Amino acid sequence: MAEFQFDPQEFQDRLKRLFPNLKIIIFGIVVLITVFASFFQIGAEEVGVITTFGKYSRTVDPGLNFKMPFVERVYKVPVERQQKLEFGFRTVKADVNTIYKRSKAEEEESLMLTGDLNLASVEWVVQYRIDNAYDYLFKVRNPENSLRDISESAMRQIVGNRTVNEVLTVGRNEIESNLQILIQEICKEYTMGIKIDQVVLQDVNPPDPVKGAFNAVNEAQQEKETLINKAKSEYNKVIPKASGQAEETIQKAEGYALERVNMAQGEAARFNAIYSEYIKAPEVTKRRIYLETMSTVIPQIGNVIVTDQKGNVLPLLQMQIEKQKAQ
Amino acid sequence: MNTKSTLYIALVLFGLIVIMQSTYIVQEKEQVVVTQFGKPVGEPIITPGVKFKIPFIQKAIFFEKRYMEWDGDPNQITTKDKKFIFVDTYARWQITDPLQFFKRLTNEKGAQSRLDDILDGATRNFIAKNNIEEAVRTSNRTPISADSLLKDSLISINVGREAIQKGILAEANLQTADLGIEILDFRFKRINYVQEVQDKVFNRMKSERFRIADKFRSEGQGEASRINGEKERELKKIQSEAFRKAEEIMGDSDAKAAAIYASAYNKSSQSKSLYAFLKSMETFENTFNSQTSIILNTDNELYKYLKKME
Repeated sequence: MAEFQFDPQEFQDRLKRLFPNLKIIIFGIVVLITVFASFFQIGAEEVGVITTFGKYSRTVDPGLNFKMPFVERVYKVPVERQQKLEFGFRTVKADVNTIYKRSKAEEEESLMLTGDLNLASVEWVVQYRIDNAYDYLFKVRNPENSLRDISESAMRQIVGNRTVNEVLTVGRNEIESNLQILIQEICKEYTMGIKIDQVVLQDVNPPDPVKGAFNAVNEAQQEKETLINKAKSEYNKVIPKASGQAEETIQKAEGYALERVNMAQGEAARFNAIYSEYIKAPEVTKRRIYLETMSTVIPQIGNVIVTDQKGNVLPLLQMQIEKQKAQ
Repeated sequence: MNTKSTLYIALVLFGLIVIMQSTYIVQEKEQVVVTQFGKPVGEPIITPGVKFKIPFIQKAIFFEKRYMEWDGDPNQITTKDKKFIFVDTYARWQITDPLQFFKRLTNEKGAQSRLDDILDGATRNFIAKNNIEEAVRTSNRTPISADSLLKDSLISINVGREAIQKGILAEANLQTADLGIEILDFRFKRINYVQEVQDKVFNRMKSERFRIADKFRSEGQGEASRINGEKERELKKIQSEAFRKAEEIMGDSDAKAAAIYASAYNKSSQSKSLYAFLKSMETFENTFNSQTSIILNTDNELYKYLKKME
């Protein structure tokens, strides 16, 4: 209708020539626009929130849907898509080898005070879904920004209540679960329509300037273990050996004892045997033994010099010398 | 026909403009104050849908109904214990009374500027009244220690971060009461030392770590020495015990042997003399060899019959 208004006279004539077709063309265009404004598609991971004259009327599911043209408006909200926010780093390009970015701003984002007033650099990811499309659209402006603020604040609150050692070592899982609960609580308070699926801690490090000092602690810990292990291995090397040696000494002593007693018993038995005979004829036995002994002893002796009562050496001596020469 | 159609068209256009001027659509996220010659009239419209007003004379002014952001500038504040920190804050607020809001603040820009004044001021007050730990920590919990040798402890706090945040929120809401807005939540986003102090903090952290490292090292040496001492003690114990036991066993057997010998040899004077005799015989057998020279007198029993039979 606006076309008629600004068309000049001569253009109107030309339109009149086209008159039979014009109606159809306009009608066609109107129908087309109406159809396009009436039907719309909702993707698999979305829902459509429809407002009539600005007022919320209904939520529609994925597929082809119909709305009143011009009067109703559709907002598509990806409720099934898991979205994530990164803190302390940004993914530049997600691929097989993902490229990350960490500039000054991200460093400041990750640097935080611990409860014992140390500094830690914490990187984390918050994974969330929109679970209430109405709230997400109409309750909070820029819900994503709010979630970012909430996460940063909540993380600092949790890290601020822990020691730097907890944050860097033992506390990781506990921080993750507590953070998820805290963020979810605040989101609920803000009626953001967001559900936190998971909070994942990434790199948690001491700040760069003090990294060396933290490594020194680890090294010292290793050194301590090494020293103790060395001492223990030395202990294990020496003590069992000493125990074995002690056992040996005792066994030897026992052997000695057995031998000593057995020998004593043997000798005593022999003595007793001899004695029992000796007592019957002491003189004869004594002499016999003496002579027997001498007869075995004397041949072994190198030089036997026999003298008479006056001390003259008997010719026997000479014979002995000759005997030796002959050998 | 030409004039008629022109008139007709003009009429339709006029009608359209009147309709457009007298109706307006309020979205879910909006609320509206209607003004007449710049002066607000009637109750503010806070429900969505199609609304009507007097065309040309009245004007609909739209306001946000959702929670809005307020982001504080990082403020450098000195705490009660003279620590220089900067505090970055955020808040979420809402226009609760559009009419009052329109009268007092006109628009969002005005509101943000007022919120800056109110919240920054309250933050300063609260931070300056508390020690740094109160703003960092939330509760007095016992930290988990990774190593039983490395006991961590946190100094106890009286107020805590959440209480300070709530305090600031309450104080700010008192001041925003007649501005038609309400602050839903106020939180510290970032608290950190100012750059100049940060280097000192790093140095402190370093020295603290080196202290811990030294502690580990000396603990290792101490423990190693202890084990070493234990080893020496154990060694001496094992060796001396073995020696004692061996000596006992041997002594015992010596005593037994002595008793056996004594009981055999000590029966009578004859047994004594026999023993002496046998022993000396034995000694001869054992001591004489080819290197020995002996001189025997013919008076000797052995050679008694050498000279003559008697």
